[in-house]
Amino acid sequence: MHVELETDVELDDSRVAGEPIIAWRAWGLTGRADGSRIRLRPVAGPTLPWPHREAAKARCKRGKFHTAPDLACTCGLHATHTTELLRRTKAPAVLGRIALWGRVIEHEHGYRAQFAYPQRLRLVCLLCFWLRGMHGDPPDIVAVAGRRRMLPLCEPHLGTAVRYGMRPKTVVEAVGIERALLDAYAVDMLAV
Amino acid sequence: MNIGRPKRIIEVEPAQLPVPETLPEPLPVSEPDREPIPADASR
Repeated sequence: MHVELETDVELDDSRVAGEPIIAWRAWGLTGRADGSRIRLRPVAGPTLPWPHREAAKARCKRGKFHTAPDLACTCGLHATHTTELLRRTKAPAVLGRIALWGRVIEHEHGYRAQFAYPQRLRLVCLLCFWLRGMHGDPPDIVAVAGRRRMLPLCEPHLGTAVRYGMRPKTVVEAVGIERALLDAYAVDMLAV
Repeated sequence: MNIGRPKRIIEVEPAQLPVPETLPEPLPVSEPDREPIPADASR
């Protein structure tokens, strides 16, 4: 995710809030075909999975000399105001509403936060989501590839992915993986 | 993806954390009381 950095930027008045900020986010997904060891993962890079039933805390990979998120850095747990920006995400597998708290930097189109936890989640067919956003078809299957990477797809797009060279190790029904995901993070399904 | 320029810093201090509490271990369920089966019930 790209952040425009300006250390001398003029900010609006800072404020204190007593309720978490709710925003949108997309994740990658890893886990076993039986639904065990299921974890949300950031879509960018080999970073740590999101823990179950405890807050994710931002850490800056660039330096240990500031608390994430820092105004002059790109660090922090990212989220957006709308789902449209998320359609440009690399390989989204899960879409969700997320609560943000602690130190939160509001940007023009989203946020970077110190702490976060998902509130509602659902699997998305990544090709449908790229093409039609929230109005895409729900996934029918989840293809489990190398390193337990999970790719939810609708039936037509599974055919497309295989034609373009995807060779999943296993294909399982999406409904079971989605149930395991919701149970693991103890959240409800995101309504369409 | 570009979330644009920073606008403001917000310090969010929720009274209650939006994280589900860890579910407690389920309590052992006792067997329901049953009427004793008469010795000649199958007859």
